[in-house]
Amino acid sequence: MATVFWGLLIGFLFGAALYLGGLAEPDKIIGTLRLKDFHAFRTIALFVLVGMLGTWILQKTGHANLDIKPAAVLTVFIGGALLGVGFGITGYCPGTGLACAAAGRMDALITVLGMFVGAMVYILIYPTVVVSLEQHFNYGKITLPEITNTSSTAWVLPIVLIGALILWVTAPRRKS
Amino acid sequence: MEEIKVPKAPLPWWAAGLILGLIQVLAVYVKGPLGVSTQFVILDSIVMHKAAPEYAQNHPLLSQEKNRKIGYGFWLDVGIVLGAFTAAVLVKRWKLQTSTVWWKTNRNGSLFGRFFAGFIGGIFILLGARLAHGCTSGGFASGWAQLSLNAVPMTIGLFSFGMLTAWLVYPKTPNIEK
Repeated sequence: MATVFWGLLIGFLFGAALYLGGLAEPDKIIGTLRLKDFHAFRTIALFVLVGMLGTWILQKTGHANLDIKPAAVLTVFIGGALLGVGFGITGYCPGTGLACAAAGRMDALITVLGMFVGAMVYILIYPTVVVSLEQHFNYGKITLPEITNTSSTAWVLPIVLIGALILWVTAPRRKS
Repeated sequence: MEEIKVPKAPLPWWAAGLILGLIQVLAVYVKGPLGVSTQFVILDSIVMHKAAPEYAQNHPLLSQEKNRKIGYGFWLDVGIVLGAFTAAVLVKRWKLQTSTVWWKTNRNGSLFGRFFAGFIGGIFILLGARLAHGCTSGGFASGWAQLSLNAVPMTIGLFSFGMLTAWLVYPKTPNIEK
């Protein structure tokens, strides 16, 4: 029951925030990819920085539930590129596609259907293509601090401080 | 013809980013980082176990117990749908729409085109997300939150190809409400 409760609650908050924050808004995403509208870019950047800082604090206090994905660098790059092509065509990604379909966008619903087909393609090519491709340049489930033999603090604090400074300095000022 | 314009988001960027970040922290505290795309494989996997049980049982991915189990991640995706629906209704922006401002500006408002491109795009999105072991949520945002090495090639691939594709598909910029 706890699984269902927390899943639904966190998902609900996430879906609502994606919508209200303009990320579940294909026009905002395309605007950012075209470097014409920085709303989504700034939102995503702050999302990542706050998430990084909070996860680091949880880790330091022993409360983090991490899930590091394997760094099969070649496959991950190819996957990121394919996702990027779909993202650039539609303005959706899996989470915002679901959110946009729920907000009444029929084109997003079609994209979600395409995603189920995409998952099936992945399943079908997994035994042959994916398994062998993942053997190349695979560093396993590793983090940047681990592979560089440094502490997470040495990464998190500079990234968060510099990132926050850049966001603050470049923030759009309201004209009065 | 009515002027089309990209509307402002309901929340300013700093509030949206802060709230999304805090939700990520809550997720890491309670269960595990945010992620969306795995569930598409799980639902397909459940279908395959019904439709082609022999194939599914011998499949290196589908045969794994975790890939046919409805759990936290599934309910999270259901929550996203409910949350986005509720938010859109509450701010009175829920509306049946078939296209976007950028599409109408660049592609003459072809509805079939938008749907066809959306479907093909969806295939690319999920295939790519699974190859990358995560989408924009699980691979990119959660990857960076945990400083995972995986997030580096993911980010480079996602944004370089995303920007290139958007530049090719949407050369003309519409009016954007500031």
